[in-house]
Amino acid sequence: MSQTITRRSFLQSGTLLAGASLLPRWMPRLAFSPPGYGPRGDVLISVFLRGAADVLNMVVPHGDDAYYKLRPTLGIPRPDDRRAEPSSRTLDLDGFFGLHPKLSPLVGAWQTGQLAIVHACGAPDESRSHFKAMELMERGVEDERGPASGWIGRHLATLETGNASPFRAVALGEIPQRSLSGAVPVTALRSIADFHLAGDPQALAKMQAALNSLYSGIDAVSGIGQETLRILDALQATDPLSYNSATDPAYPESDFGLGLRQIAILIKAEVGLEVAAIDLGGWDTHFAQGGSVGQMAELMWDLASGLAAFHADLRDLADRLTVVVMSEFGRRAAENGSLGTDHGHGSLMILLGGHVRGGKIHGTWPGLAEGKLVGPGDLAVTTDYRDVLGEVCLRRLGNPALGEIFPGFQVTLHDLVT
Amino acid sequence: MRRSLNRREFIRLAGLIAASTGVAGCASVYDRLVPESSSWTPWPNAGPSTFLHLNRMTYGPMSDERAAADDAGIEAWIEEQLAPESLDDPGADLRLRRFTTLDLPSDVLADLSDRIFDNVDRFTVPDQLRQATLIRQVYSRRQLLEVMVEFWTDHFNISVEKGDCFFLKTVDDREVIRRHALGNFGELLWASAHSPAMLVYLDNQSNRKGSPNENYARELMELHSLGVSGGYTQADVMELARCLTGWTVKEHFWRGEFTFNSQFHDAGPKRVLGEAIDPLGQIEAERVLDVLSIHPSTAHFIAAKLARRFIAEDPPPGLVDLVAGVFKQTNGDIRSVLRALLMNGLEFVQPKFKRPSHFVVSALRILNARTDGGEAIQRYLKRMGQPYFAWPTPDGYPDRSEAWSGNLLPRWQFAYDLAHGALSHTTVDLPGLVQAAGPGDPASLVDRMSTLLLGQPLPPTTKRALLDSVERAGAIDDEGTPSLLLAAILASPAFQWR
Repeated sequence: MSQTITRRSFLQSGTLLAGASLLPRWMPRLAFSPPGYGPRGDVLISVFLRGAADVLNMVVPHGDDAYYKLRPTLGIPRPDDRRAEPSSRTLDLDGFFGLHPKLSPLVGAWQTGQLAIVHACGAPDESRSHFKAMELMERGVEDERGPASGWIGRHLATLETGNASPFRAVALGEIPQRSLSGAVPVTALRSIADFHLAGDPQALAKMQAALNSLYSGIDAVSGIGQETLRILDALQATDPLSYNSATDPAYPESDFGLGLRQIAILIKAEVGLEVAAIDLGGWDTHFAQGGSVGQMAELMWDLASGLAAFHADLRDLADRLTVVVMSEFGRRAAENGSLGTDHGHGSLMILLGGHVRGGKIHGTWPGLAEGKLVGPGDLAVTTDYRDVLGEVCLRRLGNPALGEIFPGFQVTLHDLVT
Repeated sequence: MRRSLNRREFIRLAGLIAASTGVAGCASVYDRLVPESSSWTPWPNAGPSTFLHLNRMTYGPMSDERAAADDAGIEAWIEEQLAPESLDDPGADLRLRRFTTLDLPSDVLADLSDRIFDNVDRFTVPDQLRQATLIRQVYSRRQLLEVMVEFWTDHFNISVEKGDCFFLKTVDDREVIRRHALGNFGELLWASAHSPAMLVYLDNQSNRKGSPNENYARELMELHSLGVSGGYTQADVMELARCLTGWTVKEHFWRGEFTFNSQFHDAGPKRVLGEAIDPLGQIEAERVLDVLSIHPSTAHFIAAKLARRFIAEDPPPGLVDLVAGVFKQTNGDIRSVLRALLMNGLEFVQPKFKRPSHFVVSALRILNARTDGGEAIQRYLKRMGQPYFAWPTPDGYPDRSEAWSGNLLPRWQFAYDLAHGALSHTTVDLPGLVQAAGPGDPASLVDRMSTLLLGQPLPPTTKRALLDSVERAGAIDDEGTPSLLLAAILASPAFQWR
């Protein structure tokens, strides 16, 4: 009879929940962090919005008249637009910018100063190709000649934290993000509850012994195999699912919500997580993207409700977390004829965490008036995305090796985090 | 003349599909009809280079394919595969009979997908396409054709998750990808541009004069022909998008068929890639397609992509140039291009990490598994990251080894399940395999199995370590040993590479 050997009963985990945070039954910090190393920096959560998110409809420049001329159909109504349904109006942030109404779950973090936005942010690449832009951005390089590894991979490779945990870097989903590639093996993980081998216990014990022997080489794939085996062991010896908690607000029932919940569990279980990368796809809205409601509004709701639930779930640990949200580029300032938007240039980034200088729109707003737009009519980039990531690496992750993480680029600090 | 089904015909069709779906769950009915696939006798000899080369041109070489290539030589084998129409294929053909939606016109597929009807699952159309794809990959003798079908399926990626692609992909698979997979690249590109599934997937069905939609125009140049560094500009994207205004898909009568709507076409003068385009309606974009299909950048882009797929992650530039030259000389004759690539390139083959499809199908093929290609297998492909026809973005499933090597656990579980008979409707005759391997101790069984699955025995130290570790983990019981050793070899690093 087949059975699961590593998964504990969910019910049992639930009953342990109350005591778990006070007295963990296992101490992975001792196991994974030998004495002699200083404390690590924040846990970094890197969120990539795949498909080029239309940032002008996320953080709406409602004070810029040109916005409504460019977006006669898709524009999100001004906060005081009485002709529009109240629920469809922009949520004002500072008198000039406002949040899309479906990003409302983020208002709380904005008000407590833990959420910041860097507008008109992005990369110099003007190919307007998703694939080229994503690749360059995840590699953190200026052009194809840069190193093939990812910027997060190089961050991990240049920062000796003495952390031997197999959970040091985790990729949520099925295919690890390019940004993570580098010296540290990275395992894709979709769900902790499903991360186990199932079958006859005796046969599986032998299978695991065989895998240990077969993956003992020094090549990259053997490294990943060893890491996978160590994660299996760690999950078998411990019970991270006991750190699963019901939160208010709840995580959305989506892959993104599921992924964020896995990250929260790993953080609370203190298994040595330093970086988690997670994607939210579907932002390539050439057709029928919708305005206050519709296709893109649903994506924004998934994003915002997920991040808000994550933030609430980990409110006691906010000082040790930094979430960065980015996308490969922005979209055309003018809407197209399909009630959508085509590929553009300038984008934005969102920072969330206890040490973020929040409640503020950072960066220089280039404007949307004629003459201010670049290329075929796109938002200009006034802050390089590497400035934002570099400052997070330096100030929050404790890694000064910016020259190696972003080769050939001089990071400018903008006081985005403390 | 095509038209929508009336209700009576629809019920009849629905009944047929429901019945065939029932049969699909019971593969043995079909297995009895089809000829016995090759057995393991004689057991293949160790032949690392034939195995390696065949593993690029097939989904995992079966014993008889290895023997044929050894007998006739790899070049003769390639020539045979380049003429798939000359190969009888009853093993695949008979098994495909149960998939009744594969040959239906788009309006009927639309009906099947939209209506809730007795016993017809809404997912029947894409599910049959996925299942049929796997059946062909496992059972077809036209292996190079199937490998190329997957290559072009990625190159002209369409996700069934987007709108009517849900059922239109079935038509695209049949009329575009499979029809032209070994034909002429220009005709393939032309067919794809007129494919309703592609026009829906990349939003050209809403591309109208006044404010065009650039999505398809861009990917047509960036991903389908010239490549991102192929020499086009943002202005070319916008002008080609104007040429493509009015290229759309019928919505009511003959739903799902291509149509050019001149009302929505921008008739003004245009300029693409430096050439003036006269106002000629539908012909404008077709002229550009002709230019793109034989453009030197396209030749190089396709040659490099094929070389990456078949030869090495970073193929020798000289090889790519040579293949691009053949592309140009033959105006994109895919057979000639492939012949040049394989005849000149196999000596440069470097290891590539198997994509999930290759991992799963190679295990099934080499082990002579019986499979219905159904739910159990499809679920595993999803866990490994390659559910068929579901990659969301137009670049297709990645072809870099690194993209796939970070997700080993589902492969290990699949190896375990296949070797232990834990997959529904997919089985391996393990006693038969052990018998064919011949008598001997576990060490010789490992040798025999790895010769079959890897083309050569495991290195002695690896083999010894494997057997020791298994022994240490508990008493070896004779009954479970073959399953365990088979699972271990399938899960081993060596079997993850092709």
